[in-house]
Amino acid sequence: MRALSIASTGMLAQQTNVEVIANNLANMNTTGFKQQRAEFQDLLYQNVEQAGAQTSDSGTVLPMGIQLGSGVRTAAISRIMTQGDASNTGNPYDLMIQGSGYFHITMPDGTDAYTRAGNFALSPEGQIVTDKGYTVSPGVAVPSNATSISVNAQGQVSATVPGQAAPQTLGQLELVRFPNEGGLSAQGDNLFTETASSGSAQAGVPGSAGYGTIQQGYLETANVNPVEEVTALITAQRAYEMNSKVVTAADDMMQTTSRMGGA
Amino acid sequence: MDNTLLVSLSQQIAAYRSMDVIANNMANLSTPAFKRESVKFEEYIQQSQPAEGETGTQQISFVQDKGTLRDLTQGAISHTGAPFDIAINGKGYFTVKSPDGTTHYTRNGHFTLDASGRIATEGGDLLQGDGGELTITNDDGDIKIAQDGTVSGARGQLGKVKLVTFDDETSLQKDGASLYSTMQQAKPVETPMMLQGSLEGSNVQPVLEISHMLDVMRAYQTTANLTQSQEELKRNAIDKLGSAAN
Repeated sequence: MRALSIASTGMLAQQTNVEVIANNLANMNTTGFKQQRAEFQDLLYQNVEQAGAQTSDSGTVLPMGIQLGSGVRTAAISRIMTQGDASNTGNPYDLMIQGSGYFHITMPDGTDAYTRAGNFALSPEGQIVTDKGYTVSPGVAVPSNATSISVNAQGQVSATVPGQAAPQTLGQLELVRFPNEGGLSAQGDNLFTETASSGSAQAGVPGSAGYGTIQQGYLETANVNPVEEVTALITAQRAYEMNSKVVTAADDMMQTTSRMGGA
Repeated sequence: MDNTLLVSLSQQIAAYRSMDVIANNMANLSTPAFKRESVKFEEYIQQSQPAEGETGTQQISFVQDKGTLRDLTQGAISHTGAPFDIAINGKGYFTVKSPDGTTHYTRNGHFTLDASGRIATEGGDLLQGDGGELTITNDDGDIKIAQDGTVSGARGQLGKVKLVTFDDETSLQKDGASLYSTMQQAKPVETPMMLQGSLEGSNVQPVLEISHMLDVMRAYQTTANLTQSQEELKRNAIDKLGSAAN
């Protein structure tokens, strides 16, 4: 009885589906979070009778064969990279990327990580850092006596210092892009790292061709649509239930079989 | 006398087969562009010669499975918003080529980019356009895929997604992972209709499958009961005839 194992692949797939939906809903308020989706594919087929096999010497062929499927598998969990909404915070160190690209973060061990969550702050040394204290590459230091700081759309950071009429340029933020951003590996803490499937990071100035611009005082909200997720949740739950019905039916048939010899 | 048992057995094996196919349909409720299958059964007639004192030939019909029929109706199209999700509206298949050069066909329009920026399936097979694979670079900006499959970006047209069809779609062989293969000659679709940011759902209708499932289950139980009463009949005959002999 293959129906039992086939239906169990269906239940497993829907379980993964619900887990992905749960993670999306849990991250509804996570800055820069990207909605994920489980992708399913059918499993291998067993060829019982090959379509096109000869049925006589005169060359007639079987118009259809018998191919028995063996269920479903989760092929991938992909991220949907649409832009989240802009939420105004007024905090000068909250930066949002409008368009594509990632901020480049240097981790404490010197490796690179990438993020779209621009909720930055200052370190004790005056460096612009993430909320975990990791440096935002290429590293911009803000003088302690700066009265205000501004970041323009092209990522240029400047500060107003007492006694100086013109704002002082402090540095230039950079954005990176990937040939396939879907291939980035999520590390938690809103951070991503490069993988063989994402391709290598290509740095550029915000606002140049293909790169997004920077919005100061805004944060990108998660692109999770709760209505969509709840609908998906209901569908997944029903699909799970129906696959469990198949398990019950298969079990029922087997029970009938085992009773046949009795009485 | 054994014929009853054997005929029931043929039905029971058929019921198991149907159940497997229904289970596979149900498991693929959420697989994009999955096409539901049903089992086609056929009567197999055995002629037996009349015994002494009987006239005419007796016919015993067994059931045997003849094929799995694929239902090619279109699944519902749902919006996903992902730029490389392409739903085919109407006829046609995408052509994908694996790195070793084998060609497969699929209607599952969920694609992503690979590390070199080529449009590929989750399994790494490359989507074929009119001029081979389709490569997207960072300078192309937002990608637009038109209804006829024309892929364009900020730098203009990048290629055109190819849709093909076949003389006999039902005989395409399923290879798993939403891929089909065939020896048939692929013909281009004359008026391709593609929808970017959407996916074609599975065409499995749960209500239909559940009712089929109940049908199969009941038929199986009925046959099992038949076998059972046949068994009792035999035992009764042995008991009665045996005691009469004493």
